[in-house]
Amino acid sequence: MLPREAWLDLARKLDWTFRYVSESDLFPKDPSGETRVPREDWRRWEEPFKTSYREYVAGQHEKERAVRAVREAVGRPEHQRRVPRPWLNANKFHGAALPLAEFAASIGNLRAGRFARDSAWRTMALFGALDELRHTEIPLLLYHDLVKWDPQFDWVHRFYHTNNWVAIAARHLFDELLLAANPIELAIGTNLVFETGFTNLQFVALSGLARDAGDPMFETMVKSIQTDEARHAQIGRSVLEILVESDRAYAQRLVDKWFWRTWHLFSVLTGFSMDYLTPLSARRASFKEFVEEWIVTQFLEVLDAHGLERPWYWDTFLTSLDHYHHMVYASAYTYRATVWFDLVVPGPEERAWLAEKYPASWPGFAPVWERVDAGWRESDPDLDFAAHGTAIVTFCDTCQLVLCEGTPARNTAHTVVRGERKYIFCSEPCRWIFEQEPERYASHLDVVKRVLAGEAPGNLTAILTQYFGLTQETWGRDVERGRYAWLSRPPKPRPPLPSPAEAPDERQP
Amino acid sequence: MSVLVPLYGFVEGDTIGLIVLAHDDDPIARVVARLQHSARWRVAKFEDARAFHGDRELDASLTVAQSGLSALERIDVRRAGGSRDAA
Repeated sequence: MLPREAWLDLARKLDWTFRYVSESDLFPKDPSGETRVPREDWRRWEEPFKTSYREYVAGQHEKERAVRAVREAVGRPEHQRRVPRPWLNANKFHGAALPLAEFAASIGNLRAGRFARDSAWRTMALFGALDELRHTEIPLLLYHDLVKWDPQFDWVHRFYHTNNWVAIAARHLFDELLLAANPIELAIGTNLVFETGFTNLQFVALSGLARDAGDPMFETMVKSIQTDEARHAQIGRSVLEILVESDRAYAQRLVDKWFWRTWHLFSVLTGFSMDYLTPLSARRASFKEFVEEWIVTQFLEVLDAHGLERPWYWDTFLTSLDHYHHMVYASAYTYRATVWFDLVVPGPEERAWLAEKYPASWPGFAPVWERVDAGWRESDPDLDFAAHGTAIVTFCDTCQLVLCEGTPARNTAHTVVRGERKYIFCSEPCRWIFEQEPERYASHLDVVKRVLAGEAPGNLTAILTQYFGLTQETWGRDVERGRYAWLSRPPKPRPPLPSPAEAPDERQP
Repeated sequence: MSVLVPLYGFVEGDTIGLIVLAHDDDPIARVVARLQHSARWRVAKFEDARAFHGDRELDASLTVAQSGLSALERIDVRRAGGSRDAA
């Protein structure tokens, strides 16, 4: 039998010289992307870790076996009942955000499997598409077992099919990144920035927290996915190496754009989980510390190795790192019925931990949580809507997330007039992204503009049920229903007891 | 007949922007009061609230129309002596 090295190129380097069709016919500008990179340069494309289809299938089979074993061992409701309730809600958040985004990633990779400029790259993209299908199916399968126990888990499949504000924001991001991007933008935005930079935060750091929080199902699921991500993420660096040689400006613009867009997503998704929904006993580091380790240090090394600059808004990012997820979390908590999972009030010990981890920013958030405490003190447990916002909140015209950038003292949102329309952006990077490609974003309506246009109701209960797709059984509540041991409520005056003469005689029929 | 003028409102100390559905004949003082009421779950009402449009302080007694505000503009509600560097 031939040694692997002797035949592997026949399974990956399959390009030949095209004589009967033109380059532009084979690789049209829109689906293939257009850069200054000469055609022949792409032939140097190499993936660091090479694999054959046979090896791929064998490896995936083993991973599937491990996931099945974990499902049997710890994937049932009786196991999940033992998971701390705040963490269980991190599960609901991730479970919804993950699988159908992975399906979109499969479509993006299939496009790259046809229109990427080198055959080895196309082969890797095909493996990537198969990976992403698996990442769609695993969470759908594992969480489906929990739907009958807790209807909020139904949102694992339902989420992207709704007009929930988080789903609108997530679709806005993933439709562009995965469904609309050409293979070059897909490789830089997804494989390099999203997967090399940010998913380590999710799949490595968060899976460790899952283990410590007593949730081996989540830990195993994300670890299984991570091993795939690590393989197909290498597409990004290989594309970047060639792209920067001939079109550094384009490479830099793609990195700057997708770093910010990805940052906002993970800041909310992972920031909530690490700093609020993970039990204090399981926390090893803050979200900021994890980001500093995985993003600030490692990702900048990647950029430096390829001669790229850190994104132009780096100082804004560092401010955001201290504030953004805290801004969004406090806001979301006071609008918790607008999401499909429950949120928790950080108790005194959690607040002390947050104050230690975020000395520069937490003093701005402590008064906000004191107000939340006051709201619960004034209302009885279980009455979530007695301590819940009703005014319409605001959304960014680029990221479609709530206007929570900046600090409590200075929110950085600003409006821009363009033609007949006013736009509002949460931050300078979101405004910059919009203005780079206004034709991509200008016609999209955020939730506020849908309400003002009459497309969505403005009343809170109506928008929850008729537009966001929530029900009384699924909308978010306080995890403890306001019953916190540390939250003392002043005794309420009791109505005077009736005198014996007035008291009804309970012995009467 | 008054005209609806939805405005983006930001209360100092709050974590999120809010929409206030003002009318063009609403005095600014009423708009400020409504914003503070809407933000009360996160920020306690402060008595010395002042409204700003960019760097321009708005006269609380003037109406939305008299203040030159049009739909989907940003106003800020700040404490006297609070931060004035908001956009």
